[in-house]
Amino acid sequence: MSLEAFNNRNVNEGDYFLVDIEDYPTDGWGKFKRVVKRTFKGELFVGLWVVLREMIKFDIHTVQYPEEKMPIGPRYRAVHEMKRLWESDAERCIGCGLCEKICISNCIRIDTRIDENSRKEVSEYSINLGRCIYCGYCAEVCPELAITHGGEYENASDQREHFIMYEDMLTPIDKMKAGAQLEFEGFGSITPHEDERVKKTPLAY
Amino acid sequence: MINFKVNGIEISAKKGESILDAARRHGIYIPTMCYLPKTTPNASCRMCSVEVEGQDGFVLSCNTPPVEGIEVTTDSETLYKERQNIMKMYNVNHPLQCGVCDKSGECELQNKTLEFEVDEQTFAVRDQYRKKKKWGVQTYDPSLCIMCEKCTAVCNEVVGSSALFIKPGGYKSEIDINLADCISCGECVSVCPVGAMASTDFKYTANAWELKRVPSSCAHCSSACSLYYESKHTANSNREYDAKIYRVTNDADFTSLCGAGRYGFDFENRVQTKDEEAFALALDKFAQAKNVVFTSQITNEELYLLKKLQEKFGFNLVNEEARAFQNFMKNFASTAGETLYNATLKDIAQSDFIVTVGASISRDNPMIRFNISQAVKHNKAYVATIHPIVDGEIKKLVTQYIKNEVGSEEAALAMLADTFVEDKSSQKEFFESIDLGYLSGESNISEEEIALLKHFSSRKKSRVLVIGEDVINHPQAANIAKIVGFLQKSGAFKVVINPTNTNTLGVCLISNLDEAEEGFTIGYNTKADFTLSAKGDGDLDMPALNQQEGTFVNIDKDLVTLNAGVVYKGYELNDIANALLGLRAQSVIEYTHQLGFKDIKFDELVDGVLNPAGEIVRGYKIESQPVKTQASIDEVAELGEYNGSVIYSVNPINQFNQFTKDSEHLGAKTELVGSLQFAIAAKISSGDDVKFSINGTTYLRHFRVDRKLTGTIAFNPSFDQDNKSANYRYNQVKIEVTNE
Repeated sequence: MSLEAFNNRNVNEGDYFLVDIEDYPTDGWGKFKRVVKRTFKGELFVGLWVVLREMIKFDIHTVQYPEEKMPIGPRYRAVHEMKRLWESDAERCIGCGLCEKICISNCIRIDTRIDENSRKEVSEYSINLGRCIYCGYCAEVCPELAITHGGEYENASDQREHFIMYEDMLTPIDKMKAGAQLEFEGFGSITPHEDERVKKTPLAY
Repeated sequence: MINFKVNGIEISAKKGESILDAARRHGIYIPTMCYLPKTTPNASCRMCSVEVEGQDGFVLSCNTPPVEGIEVTTDSETLYKERQNIMKMYNVNHPLQCGVCDKSGECELQNKTLEFEVDEQTFAVRDQYRKKKKWGVQTYDPSLCIMCEKCTAVCNEVVGSSALFIKPGGYKSEIDINLADCISCGECVSVCPVGAMASTDFKYTANAWELKRVPSSCAHCSSACSLYYESKHTANSNREYDAKIYRVTNDADFTSLCGAGRYGFDFENRVQTKDEEAFALALDKFAQAKNVVFTSQITNEELYLLKKLQEKFGFNLVNEEARAFQNFMKNFASTAGETLYNATLKDIAQSDFIVTVGASISRDNPMIRFNISQAVKHNKAYVATIHPIVDGEIKKLVTQYIKNEVGSEEAALAMLADTFVEDKSSQKEFFESIDLGYLSGESNISEEEIALLKHFSSRKKSRVLVIGEDVINHPQAANIAKIVGFLQKSGAFKVVINPTNTNTLGVCLISNLDEAEEGFTIGYNTKADFTLSAKGDGDLDMPALNQQEGTFVNIDKDLVTLNAGVVYKGYELNDIANALLGLRAQSVIEYTHQLGFKDIKFDELVDGVLNPAGEIVRGYKIESQPVKTQASIDEVAELGEYNGSVIYSVNPINQFNQFTKDSEHLGAKTELVGSLQFAIAAKISSGDDVKFSINGTTYLRHFRVDRKLTGTIAFNPSFDQDNKSANYRYNQVKIEVTNE
């Protein structure tokens, strides 16, 4: 299925028809007549027959979840992904703490420290997915495009600890080495022609 | 008063005040980058330029005093352009790594860049490689440095160690350090407007906006400096409950902190639960106790509760160190005519003639050193130290070292009194008994040295005498106190007596201390039969001083406030008092107004820097009470002999007590340090393990020769002891070598 189906939000294009609905009864006698009419008309069996007929025909219109899944739009905000740098495979996160600051449900926590090269290093990064409201602010504020939202919306678990696994969010190193890391195009990503708009720093020497 | 106009508003300046200071005092804003109110202006940034009517060009408002009737403009189109250009210059090649910079938005450069709307860069110069440096407690990143020179100014003027200096070289110039002179106070870190000078331990561990700031007072020495505990949760903990202190900051423009205050903050008691069994036991023990021994690292309110418990159970309140000070103050009052000494730290900073007796000024109370340094740098003060040890640590501050014989402090003070007191009529007997020749021979202070001191004092306007712990714990302390009291009364000197521990003065003023008797003893922060301990190693846990609210009385006689920097989860002394006395106080601060000073509630006390003009209020001052009786000073007693190996009990810089000992940022070393001369005399060599005992306490120490030291007296630290000793600090010892 192409994305057009999702992006097309013009609801007026289809064929509409009016439903023939009688006026509602206002007095007691009218209500009594309606009850009698409905009781003996056998409407229930009409519905049951439709279900039975369609079942026998095997002409199924619903998505067979979980075997089948609907495609997800790139701007969909589900479980976060932590990206790696293309150049070095190192983690992109610089530990600036802006996501922690902007998070409106206070579910992001970072510990940082100085590493042996005197650079800032993230020693602990956790997102409490049980509390996250998937608003996307963290991805939007991230100056390095290090945190983005992915399409993984299935996060049911019987352990609360599973909701904060950093390793699960980070691009696996084999996937990175294979060049399969997907770049984010949604929230906070730069527009395709950004290069043309950047002003150069004057370096007159 | 000089009256002039700023932006059309009439304001007045005090004599010697600059245009900038006067304007700020009246709430008029002038931007600055390099100005630090507590030092003399560097005048390196030129941001504070203002226009003066009828004058060509700009005037630097930071170092120009106003003239009567001038009209000053602080803001105009040209000034704005000028300041914008200055900010552009500052931004040339300044790295744009604000995302990870340790300053995390508390940046003066960032603020002013935005304020003057620097949206494009028109200057450029070839950048160069600048190496980051790690200098003990601070790290320096020259590529972030804007050469405002605040750090060198503060190191030179306020700290007085002049460890930092500028390595000139035009665009290549940077800050460099003489590490041997650095006392690890971190003042340079606190004044740095950008992320160039950062704390090694704090760097990159937390963003400023995540930290919760709690104003409090330092718990390590009698200065009880005003500071902020900045705390934060860690990544894997609950928000409030498990917060820990990440750093300590201060209002660096106006106040200072030493290394222990700034880095020795991690002494909280991390007890996790209320130990009900131990609590029940403690309640029993109080009923049967004969003595309660405590240290002066206690708040006034807790002491008040101990006093209440004493009223009910009749035990002895014992604190030898505070009792020695209390006796000293009693004798002092008997000749001074009032209960308290009359000078403060600020008086030291503003004086121009300072004599210290029996004080190791950079170790006992760093703020005395800092203020002496300011007096030297700002008023060209004459500083003389009367001390048996020529301390190389303060050689940049001291004008005249007067070396006296160990134990002869009484003679030294008598000589001082004889030379400086003009009206000797009220203590005739004492002054007639003084035989200068004999005292000079005994104390080894020549009459010429005192004459020289007198000579240089003649033109000085304000003289301050600083009295230290050696004298307070002297065998002849009673008579010495009387001499000091008389020196104050005669007006020869303003006097500061350094209380020997954090709240010693408060303890002395609130309680009457007893001598210990045989019997069951409860110790508060000191080992006894039953120990209440904030260290977490006793029988019942107590909150540490960064976990409780309360008040101290500091060296300035101010009642200063403490607030809890981190949460404490165990029982407090208040719980014990509530259970035993049937009281219902939620917290100890409900007793603050009952302490016997002023009837002001804790929550109404103001403590800290109030406004951008630097007005500092610390609680309220405790007034000195007049004393009617007048005692006469006794004759100077004969000296005891101090031969052989003499050891001086003194802590290394930035170490004070058992709480600073375990700080991971301070790195304590409990070693005996002596000169080469001492080593030869005591027949030991550097690296030996030695054993000796002082007043019944046996010490096992590692001995190290310090080539900076001279003389035959070694330094033995006492910060690893529970309580401060009330004995004379010099002791003759027998040293045994116990190498394996």
